[in-house]
Amino acid sequence: MVVISILIGCILGAILGMNAPMISYTYSSYLAIAIIAALDSVFGGITSVIKKNFDLKIFITGFFGNAILSILLTILGQKLNVDIYLAAIVVFVGRMFTNLAIIRRYYVDKWTNKTKE
Amino acid sequence: MKNKKMVSIVLGIMCFALTLGIFIQIRTVSGTNTAVGQTYEENNLRAEVLRYKEKYDNRYQDLEKAEKELDKERQSSTKNNSELEQKESAITQGNKMIGMSDVTGPGVIITLSDSKAEVANALDPNSLLVHDGDVLSVINELKNAGAEAISINDQRLVPTSGITCGGNIIEINGEKVGAPFIIKAIGLPEQLAALERPGGYLERLKKDTVGAKLERKNSITILKYSGVITYKYAQNVE
Repeated sequence: MVVISILIGCILGAILGMNAPMISYTYSSYLAIAIIAALDSVFGGITSVIKKNFDLKIFITGFFGNAILSILLTILGQKLNVDIYLAAIVVFVGRMFTNLAIIRRYYVDKWTNKTKE
Repeated sequence: MKNKKMVSIVLGIMCFALTLGIFIQIRTVSGTNTAVGQTYEENNLRAEVLRYKEKYDNRYQDLEKAEKELDKERQSSTKNNSELEQKESAITQGNKMIGMSDVTGPGVIITLSDSKAEVANALDPNSLLVHDGDVLSVINELKNAGAEAISINDQRLVPTSGITCGGNIIEINGEKVGAPFIIKAIGLPEQLAALERPGGYLERLKKDTVGAKLERKNSITILKYSGVITYKYAQNVE
């Protein structure tokens, strides 16, 4: 059920994204940072599922909140002539790697346990 | 059960938003040229321009051949008709005046070239270069001295010609022309040589160490204008 809905969402998004009008290049940096933030939230969500403390409300607010916040920070950084988006990228990508490491450990442990039995 | 449905719907919407964003971003980025793409594109464009230039040259040669044939035909067909012969000579005369035919005769050749002095030593580096204004002034003096046909680097001056600045080159008839500028003028050489008089424009250019050389010639050939003169707005007064 979950997998099917994710697949449908991905396919719909891809089809719509291919046919959507192109945004102007000046705004593409905002979109890029929002994508990174959303990806970070997704990996964070998977980690929390593994850790069994997954909360849908936190996930949703994190997904959209992080994206919007990072866009706002990028705009602020451009107004102040400081590359705040670099900091955002460092934080998000760093967190992504940590989450990926947790996910990897979890599955490696699971696999070793299975082979031991 | 209801909770799971909710979760899957929310996840679906999220994935939708995420993939939508990613695809839009990819398309936006791929639509803009990177540095590599630009040079690649530039190379292609340059090759295309060269191809078109070659094509244009070929076509121009064909056109010249055809025009020569047309002239021959016209001459042979108007041979025994005095009225037509008159018209024919009027056409030739008109073409000569507006610069649509090659002309030859005595005149002068003026060469304007950028100064060879060191730019660092100059008070004003701009004064070492030949500008569109300099060329314009020389042309004006030549016309004052009675030049009948003028060309700059083989760009014939016609009634619609303009001389404008185009960065490190100047544009004449919309064509790019670079220094040194070889200005050919047909007229009485003694009169045209008066441009070299003390206090004249050439003298002033020489003071700025700009190369300005004037040669008298017994015979100069000035090529015709290679473009087309079109009058769109000027109508004949009845």
